[in-house]
Amino acid sequence: MIWVSWRQSRSQAIACLGVLAALAIYAIVVSTSMRTAFSHDGLAACLARNGGTNCPDAIQAFTNKFGSAVNVAFWSVLLIFPGLLGVLIGAPLIARELEFGTWRLAWSQTVTRTRWLAVKLAIVTGGVIVFGAAITAVITWYRAPMDRLTGHFINNAYDYEGLVLTAYILCAFGFAVLAGLLIRRSIPAMVAAFVPWLAIRLVVEFVLRRHFEAPLTFVQHCASAQSCMGGYGLGFIPPVTRHIGDWVLGPGGGSGNQSGNSYLYQPADRFWAFQSIEAGIFVALTAIALGAAIWILHRRPAA
Amino acid sequence: MTQGDGGGSPPALRTAGLGRRYGHVWALRDCTLTVPAGAVAGLVGPNGAGKTTLLQMIIGLLQPTEGQLEVFGETSHANSTDALARVSYVAQDHPLYRDFTVADMFHLGRAMNPSWDQGVATTRIDALGIPLKRKIKGLSGGQQAQVSLAMALAKRAPLLALDEPVSSLDPIARLDFMREVMAAAADTGVTVLIASHVVSELERLCDWLIVLTGGRVQLAGPVDDLLTAHQLLTVPRATRDAELPGFLIHRADSDRHSTVLVRTDPARPAAQERPGWGVEPVGFEQLVLAYLQRPPGTAADDPAQAATRPGPATKEVTR
Repeated sequence: MIWVSWRQSRSQAIACLGVLAALAIYAIVVSTSMRTAFSHDGLAACLARNGGTNCPDAIQAFTNKFGSAVNVAFWSVLLIFPGLLGVLIGAPLIARELEFGTWRLAWSQTVTRTRWLAVKLAIVTGGVIVFGAAITAVITWYRAPMDRLTGHFINNAYDYEGLVLTAYILCAFGFAVLAGLLIRRSIPAMVAAFVPWLAIRLVVEFVLRRHFEAPLTFVQHCASAQSCMGGYGLGFIPPVTRHIGDWVLGPGGGSGNQSGNSYLYQPADRFWAFQSIEAGIFVALTAIALGAAIWILHRRPAA
Repeated sequence: MTQGDGGGSPPALRTAGLGRRYGHVWALRDCTLTVPAGAVAGLVGPNGAGKTTLLQMIIGLLQPTEGQLEVFGETSHANSTDALARVSYVAQDHPLYRDFTVADMFHLGRAMNPSWDQGVATTRIDALGIPLKRKIKGLSGGQQAQVSLAMALAKRAPLLALDEPVSSLDPIARLDFMREVMAAAADTGVTVLIASHVVSELERLCDWLIVLTGGRVQLAGPVDDLLTAHQLLTVPRATRDAELPGFLIHRADSDRHSTVLVRTDPARPAAQERPGWGVEPVGFEQLVLAYLQRPPGTAADDPAQAATRPGPATKEVTR
């Protein structure tokens, strides 16, 4: 069964390696020039000296030069990429057998269809995890200089580093496997899996994520009008907390504090806790979808 | 029809009151039949008669809604390895993975069947001149059918179930395929259950016959017994059904004569040669066609009902 699973997923695995190779080449080209600029512009020294507060020009120049290559294009493409990848791998897994009638061949050998599905899911899920980890590693390495300015809570970093990228792919994969079993056709199953995946993905990112843990409050003491300048959001370097990587959510508290402005923020060191919570949500959704697929196939002998 | 009990070994297939319902529609109902071990059984019926439903319940792809099903004396449960191991199944249109090579398909067979005999598979394919490295999509329909058959035989299950194996093939490929099935049955003694609506192909092949229409068994038994138990009569048109000897199965009226197929009644003497009556033995194809033309819902094992039932009203001449 392991061989069978591999043989049937071989072309997809090769396509994934191709994507990984293309990404790695792009990453090496861009990241090399980014790393050169980072040290050349003295950003490393500036960050080390005072947390990036006194070299706005250098930071501005660096983000102007690399921001579009690393942030804008990247996020918009990569937002849908894990979902597309997941549904492309997941939807045909059962639907292709039902579409082409090969389920009658696959399930009439001396292997029960429940075991057939369990082994296939184990092999392909393992492959997806390995691929997700590899993509994550490439992106994390590639973005490293930018991340030293922005921290890891910025969407462009958070969504593709750590655990969540793999979890996103797995979730789309799980939805697509289940949709393929229920809809019995690959292409409609891809659509039926991708739409809810994207909806959940966006809701988690823009609604739920900031509430994973209770935010802390930062009170900005204004020694002078100029030092009180600054806003909030992920784009400000450094954030008002003067600690790179903190995610400032917005003004905090209703009490018009006379001594300064208060802000709510998620400290940078909560990155892994947040990653674990968010990955946990998507992995749980994956488990539910795949468990339902196995249960349905086991319970319903009629194909 | 007691042949299945001979020798003390369980029959290859025994069903009792077997039925399968999809929603409110019964695809198969009240199916009670026996196929003895070693038989080559033809399962004949029009499209939608329930042939595929029956075969898929035998292999365990479908769970029966009601009734019992035994393969070599063991109750078959859907989704069980034991049930799967007892039956080699070639589904309709012989599904294979199109981007696999023949060798890949055999690798799959070996990986998924503990009893797989690689020699059986490769010897057959070599003898037919099908290259192992060729992709399935590069093979003709007949060659694909042969690869499917080779896989089913290499699984070495004691019952070989074939669902419409030749309906999509050209005449030469049909002959080749049937020859391979016959050779396998002769060599290994495997019990064969072959569903088809190509009646002429089955005549040379089968020693056991099951006719299925409208989800019900119309006729089942050894071919020789069935042939001797039926007679084809040519009688004057005016002859009433009640005057006929035995049970009326099919009647076709022409202008002056009627051609009547009857099942002889063991309790009564066979049809006497009355003046103006012609009596002939019945052929395989005539027998099958007569039963296929019975109105759906006519029970096979209810001779009393069959005897009193009028024949089809359609006016036609059987040859």
